[in-house]
Amino acid sequence: MLLKDEMSSIEQTKSRLMRGVVQDNVNVLRNVRVARVKRRRTLHWRWMLTGVVVATTVYATVFLSLTPDSNAPAVSAAPAARDASVPETEIALSTPLPIDRTAIPLSIKTIVIDAGHGGEPGTTAESGITEKEITLDLALRLRRLLKNAPFKVLLTRETDRAMSLEKRVGFANENGADLFLSIHANWMEPHSIRALETYYVGPTDDPAALKLVSRENKGSGYSLSDYKKILEKIYVDARRDESRTLAKSMQAQLFRALREKNPALENRGIKTAPFVVLIGTQMPAILVEVACLSNEDEADLLTKEDYRENIAVALARGIRSYANTLKASDRKGS
Amino acid sequence: MEETNEPICVGIDLGTSRSSISASNGERHVVDSYVGWPVDMVARKLVKKPVLVGRDALDNRPMLDLRRPLERGIVKEGSEKDQEAVQELLRHLISLAGLKQKGKNKSKVRAVVGVPAEAFRVSRQNLRSTIEGIADSVMMVSEPFAVAYGLEALLHALVIDIGAGTADFCVMQGRYPTEEDQRTLPNAGDSIDEQLMKLIREKHPDAQFSIHMLREWKEKKSFVGEPRERVTVTVPVKGKATEIDISQEMRTACESILPPVCETMTTLLMKVEPEFQDKVRNNIILAGGTSLIAGLPEAITKALQELGGGRATVVTDPVFAGSDGSLAIARDATTSDWDKLSL
Repeated sequence: MLLKDEMSSIEQTKSRLMRGVVQDNVNVLRNVRVARVKRRRTLHWRWMLTGVVVATTVYATVFLSLTPDSNAPAVSAAPAARDASVPETEIALSTPLPIDRTAIPLSIKTIVIDAGHGGEPGTTAESGITEKEITLDLALRLRRLLKNAPFKVLLTRETDRAMSLEKRVGFANENGADLFLSIHANWMEPHSIRALETYYVGPTDDPAALKLVSRENKGSGYSLSDYKKILEKIYVDARRDESRTLAKSMQAQLFRALREKNPALENRGIKTAPFVVLIGTQMPAILVEVACLSNEDEADLLTKEDYRENIAVALARGIRSYANTLKASDRKGS
Repeated sequence: MEETNEPICVGIDLGTSRSSISASNGERHVVDSYVGWPVDMVARKLVKKPVLVGRDALDNRPMLDLRRPLERGIVKEGSEKDQEAVQELLRHLISLAGLKQKGKNKSKVRAVVGVPAEAFRVSRQNLRSTIEGIADSVMMVSEPFAVAYGLEALLHALVIDIGAGTADFCVMQGRYPTEEDQRTLPNAGDSIDEQLMKLIREKHPDAQFSIHMLREWKEKKSFVGEPRERVTVTVPVKGKATEIDISQEMRTACESILPPVCETMTTLLMKVEPEFQDKVRNNIILAGGTSLIAGLPEAITKALQELGGGRATVVTDPVFAGSDGSLAIARDATTSDWDKLSL
């Protein structure tokens, strides 16, 4: 009898689980998101999610309304349900509709340059040169080069001081930045690699990028699995397209400018990865890995002022080139 | 071989390193997740096939454009060739199971495919479109959930499925697991390979070996804890076959996954209702190819002592636990369930 009861209980549980499996798959098929993410206690987590939700809502209300025959379900403000079978509908995630820039004229008024690390050194070359020194030097040079630009240039740090990733993100958001550029230097195995990479926000399954993300996000207070939970929301973030355009512009300028003096430099192109500074900022944002400190020759190049100036000039060109594309599309629109 | 149009249920575990299929006609197969196309006409004449899959592809790799198309348990993004390779891999698995994919007697295939616990929805959609034309209807489930379902470990259990690309965790509490009940870590078989490669190269800079050789050593001789015997391998050193001792490197590399695995296990245990934590601690189930590392369940059991004791065991058949579990789900789904998910 007991055995029969147990079997009946297992069958009931299985039946309940099957309903969950089918509903989950139907939701994937219909592109409906089931609300499952539990509320976090930390204020900052809520703040980050709020940022993403605001972006999502703006996207849904402004951009989707431009689409005459959108089948996307409406955004729901329903509270998170524990029962997985109750879906909370959101806008379609996988293929946000492309927006013609001319629909919303954009311009750059403020940019924030983030010199990676500070206080803690970041990566350190064999020769002793540190990432924090390089990034600060480049940020200061870039500010000088953009002195006469028609936009305000702000730096997250101007000295060797520690600054959490959250504060950097907060600084950019609070100052209403229109563009965020985070400067870093990489460390790669094997050390023979000299690579140039530009990242914008999005998921990654590249082990090397994941390692880099873990390193650069170190001390942020979140784990990689936490980031994954909010990444799907990033798909609907309209600024992702702008960040991608900016990343392309920056990567092209940097590679063009540096390959002459650094012929072994490898152009690894633009990539997506879940860096905290890219997730939390509310404007087009990129993170550039301008060099590999793990490569002794490249680290040696970075000790030379003219090479660092070359990088800064290329960064400035990347920003101007992106700003010009905005002007061009503005003209096209008018 | 089935000669009927009756639907056949299959459970598929698409692994970064190995993929397995369990079918309702009793067929079970496992293949290395490699696909290769001959690089030129000469290679094509030699291999006599337009595409090679599994061990066949690995053995003929110098003549092939070889792909390992799955990364962390999902199709690599942005590469049409890798997507095509996954399709070839799936077709191969289906044909191994004796199912007809063409003609009048084409089998009607209902497939349940295991994916990492925290796979993105877009990745699942991508996989779904990859399977189109190969199966008639498809469901995707998290790999550790499939294992738990197959074992009927539905209540007070924690499944840790450690494959090559990911280590997937799922707490079973008698209900369909939510994101809060699951975790995916990138620390798995491939991260051990990377670490082992680095350590051996540091100690034996002149030794010549490939990642494929290293994976074979790991599969035969991996361990954590005190070594039971020396691990030696023979490799060319400056052209001369030389025996090298890699015991310490093997131990260090294999033990590198223990801290993140134990930390994640603890995090998930803490989320279980306090009165049931003891039961779950005593029902830690390890599955996946990497769970075959000698001494791994003992090491996890030892880590559980700090939490008040517990027990970790490896499933009887780690290689097929995922596909068998997926098959069990496929069998339990009703026709109306399948109809909702047809391709």
